[in-house]
Amino acid sequence: MKADGLVKRSLHEKLFGKNKFKYRYAFTGYAMIAPAFLLLTIFVVIPLGIAIFRSFFDYQAYAEIQKFVGFGNYKIILQTASFVHSFKNALLFAVVIVAAQMLLSFSFAHVLKNCHNRYGVFVRTVIYVPFLISGIAAAIVFLFMTNYGGGLINGILLALELDPIAIDMDTTWARISVILPTLWLGFGYNSLVMYAGLINIPKDYYEAATLDGAGWFTKLVRITVPGMVNYFLLTLVGLLTGALTMFELPFLMTNGGPLETTLTPVLYLFNNYRNVLQSSSVTIAGAILVMIIVGALNAGVFFAVQSKASEDD
Amino acid sequence: MKASTHKKIRDISGTFIMTLVVAIVLFPILWALPSMFKDRSEIFELPLHWLPHEWTTENFETVFDMPDYNYLMSIGSTTLVAVVSVFLSLLVNMMAAYAFARIEFPGRTFFWIYMLSTMFIPGITILLTSVRVVSWLGMLDTIWVLIIPGVASGYNVFFFRQYYLGVPKYMEEAAMIDGLSKAGIFFRIFTRISTAPMVIIGMSVFMGYYNSFLWPVMTITENTNLYQIMQLIRTLNSRYTGRYGIVLAATMISLLVPFALYCFFQKYIVQGISIAGVK
Repeated sequence: MKADGLVKRSLHEKLFGKNKFKYRYAFTGYAMIAPAFLLLTIFVVIPLGIAIFRSFFDYQAYAEIQKFVGFGNYKIILQTASFVHSFKNALLFAVVIVAAQMLLSFSFAHVLKNCHNRYGVFVRTVIYVPFLISGIAAAIVFLFMTNYGGGLINGILLALELDPIAIDMDTTWARISVILPTLWLGFGYNSLVMYAGLINIPKDYYEAATLDGAGWFTKLVRITVPGMVNYFLLTLVGLLTGALTMFELPFLMTNGGPLETTLTPVLYLFNNYRNVLQSSSVTIAGAILVMIIVGALNAGVFFAVQSKASEDD
Repeated sequence: MKASTHKKIRDISGTFIMTLVVAIVLFPILWALPSMFKDRSEIFELPLHWLPHEWTTENFETVFDMPDYNYLMSIGSTTLVAVVSVFLSLLVNMMAAYAFARIEFPGRTFFWIYMLSTMFIPGITILLTSVRVVSWLGMLDTIWVLIIPGVASGYNVFFFRQYYLGVPKYMEEAAMIDGLSKAGIFFRIFTRISTAPMVIIGMSVFMGYYNSFLWPVMTITENTNLYQIMQLIRTLNSRYTGRYGIVLAATMISLLVPFALYCFFQKYIVQGISIAGVK
């Protein structure tokens, strides 16, 4: 034991010299970050490195040849109609979902805020429930409701003596059938985030504004919105990322159809990872493009929120 | 007088809106629920009817007695994978978070940025090459491929570090005077005082594993005993096309596990959103 301790100390001194006091627990520190560091390196950083490397080479699995092609794969993927189409769809989904979900959850958060009794607690507990459900399970429930033969929607239409709709065949309805479950899954969670933001704004602000004769709109624009910038940003980036990387619902509900109107980038990549006709390097180049867009978005908002949080402290 | 009438109207309309919203939120599940007990000839029978005319357990028998897939085994293995991963994930990420929050070591900033930046890499970007890596490691079609690759998470390290930075230092100073090492402080004190963030992150890790679909689809192909539950539901959906009684039965039973957990921890989770929200 003693000898062990001696060896350690001398090694420690050799390594850290003058800073040996500041760094006296450095070995413990390294040991504690080692598992997370190694796991992230093996399962995230190395795969990313290989992906970036592969995206610059022409790689044919059957031919076992690799040739450096520069940005060639990126050029090919950007000229692939389906991939470009999938991005346009994702953008449309993102705009609709972000606008609708922000508006709905922000409004409902106000209703929640004005309810202080036990019923409010109950409502807050219940609306979270869909957030526990996966896209796959939600897709099954909504597929059941939109079934052509005798699902809920067409059952109602027939009862009203209207024509039934083939929801997975109609381009507009197919898009709606993917958007609605997405809103349903996230509504409760986002409302609770907005609610948390609302109750964090000190009441005095509103009282002072009332004394000064401010109306509800002035209070909304001057107090509520500035007080919730971080919550808006976080909700926004969460919803945008979710919409741009949407996969399970379109995969199961429509499988990208009809006419690729619900094809999303992730669904496109998933389908093409197994496509032997397209070089996997081209698909990987597409996947890197997804990372550049989604990752930059997330990183930008993350650092904006962090720097604002440190200003507030 | 006028103000109190105004408040009353607001209360009543608020209660009305909340009831309406709760009804809309629960409707899809409540609508689908009784259809698990409907016979295949009745399930899409018009006019619409919520409760079955004749209750049958046929759908459940089909789900539980499949010759090639074991539904209960699938729920069991998915839950096992999720539970083990929650513990490993909390241990690994909390340990790293503690080191970043409280221990000085050369290169700390570098390691911190390194781990933080993994947070911004979408899973789909590295899906194919990750499968390549786990296949080199011989992990395909084993339980380890489901557990290990998702254990470490930049976001969770970040989350716990933020929490630990807010813990006052006098606690540790007292413990150090009593002769506890840094590791001892982490295991004896920091794991005890972070129940709330542990529940929040634990639950989100659990849901991530329990609901995972893309990763098991890519890595569990031969070993049907390890089929994760969402993977199995999707397989059933393609096999029993149109026979929604069976698929719904399989789906609804799968929801019981997260719902039960939520009932148990809901207080922490609903309150915790305010912590998680601001970060």
